[in-house]
Amino acid sequence: MTKTLGQSTQYRDRQTLLVAAVVAVQAVAAVFFVADALGDFAADGMTAHIAIEAVIAFALLAGVFIGAAHVRRLLAEARRREEALAVAKGALADHITARFADWGLTAAESDVALFALKGCDAAEIAALRGAAQGTVRAQLSQVYTKAGVTSQAGLVSLFLDDLL
Amino acid sequence: MTNAITKPRRWDPIVKLTHWGVVTAVIANAIFTEEGSGWHIWAGYGLAGLLALRLLWGLIGPAEARFTAFPPSPGRAAAHVGEIRRGDLVHRRSHNPLGALMAYAIWATLLVIVASGIAMSGPPPADPAAVKGEQSEEQAAKSDLPSFVLQTLIPPARADEDEGEEAGERAGENESDEWLEEVHEIAVNLLYVLIALHLAGVVFETRRSGREVVGSMIPGGNRRT
Ligand code: HEM
Ligand code: HEM
Repeated sequence: MTKTLGQSTQYRDRQTLLVAAVVAVQAVAAVFFVADALGDFAADGMTAHIAIEAVIAFALLAGVFIGAAHVRRLLAEARRREEALAVAKGALADHITARFADWGLTAAESDVALFALKGCDAAEIAALRGAAQGTVRAQLSQVYTKAGVTSQAGLVSLFLDDLL
Repeated sequence: MTNAITKPRRWDPIVKLTHWGVVTAVIANAIFTEEGSGWHIWAGYGLAGLLALRLLWGLIGPAEARFTAFPPSPGRAAAHVGEIRRGDLVHRRSHNPLGALMAYAIWATLLVIVASGIAMSGPPPADPAAVKGEQSEEQAAKSDLPSFVLQTLIPPARADEDEGEEAGERAGENESDEWLEEVHEIAVNLLYVLIALHLAGVVFETRRSGREVVGSMIPGGNRRT
């Protein structure tokens, strides 16, 4: 099966969740560790052991900050991508409508053409629209003629051409 | 780009993880762990870590998780009550002004609980199972256990305080801790009230503006697909 945009968004969401979970565990660990080190310090004063613990505590805390900043970056990226995609989707939809109007497609032909662009074959379109397959075939060939192409692939490539 | 306004609210994973982690720790300490026991202290420290992360996130997180997105403002809260009265639904990416006040109240109360708890307990015990709760600890103190056993049973800070005292002379130590215990207990009771109000608020807002309220906080909630 092909990977849809939705699936890859879910994948990225899971990645972000994973990093966030690690950051949360690290934050808890840091608080435990710092409290423990302070306890040692109160009990024994400054020792080599404490010095090492201080370095580790610093590394843990730095890890929390850097991890949190990383999560924030991942979230910001995802949001930017989402917005760019929404703009592109809107623009493409507008463009498709405009081209259909240029070609003088009827309302029914526009519907059929849109399904064809999405990759449906005549049988599927017929099922979706509750129409006879013969009707859909006739409408499709009207669409191809008006668009100046000979096949579904040709129709799709017209729009890909505009985008690339 | 109207979709920026109409997009459903979804809290980011850090907000969700810290929220449900804090909920788990609060439930654990309110119901399951023995007061003052090692597990109680461990859960308390866990809560402290998650709370600290959420507060850090309030400074460096994404826009809707930042404190600047939901300032504690009685004026806005009053205006929001007006909205509710008129039945106006305003879509927000962050907390509504009443929810914001609630969040700050809960955080402040949790900070008091954590501070008083840590002041009583000292550092987390190495073995949580070894540190018994209030009652068993007092029993241990009254018994004739050798002092090195008591030292391991009682958290270090407390053991330090006890050093000059007879094990049987617990009354004096209890007095110095008494007000912390009092603060801890009062804050915990206040927290219960706030949680009840919080849950009532979530139910109310869900009735008013739909499932999106809870969906925004649960894992995988409010997906667009
Ligand atoms: C929100 C979560 C918490 C709840 C619901 C809770 C609840 C309680 C309650 C009801 C008591 C008994 C109070 C009394 O005897 O007057 C208690 C005692 C105690 N709590 Fe907590 N607590 C919480 C968090 C913490 C934290 C964060 C710490 C510290 C890390 C902590 C440390 C202690 C200690 C050491 C005692 C024993 C006090 C004594 O010597 O009697 N608690 N807690
Ligand atoms: C121990 C119990 C609880 C405590 C201490 C608590 C605390 C909080 C806090 C501090 C916030 C603000 C979140 C933030 O900005 O980080 C919040 C939000 C929220 N909580 Fe809880 N909570 C508790 C239980 C629950 C439960 C059981 C639910 C399930 C229905 C719930 C649902 C929510 C929701 C939906 C929000 C987001 C509200 C909004 O979008 O403005 N909470 N909670």
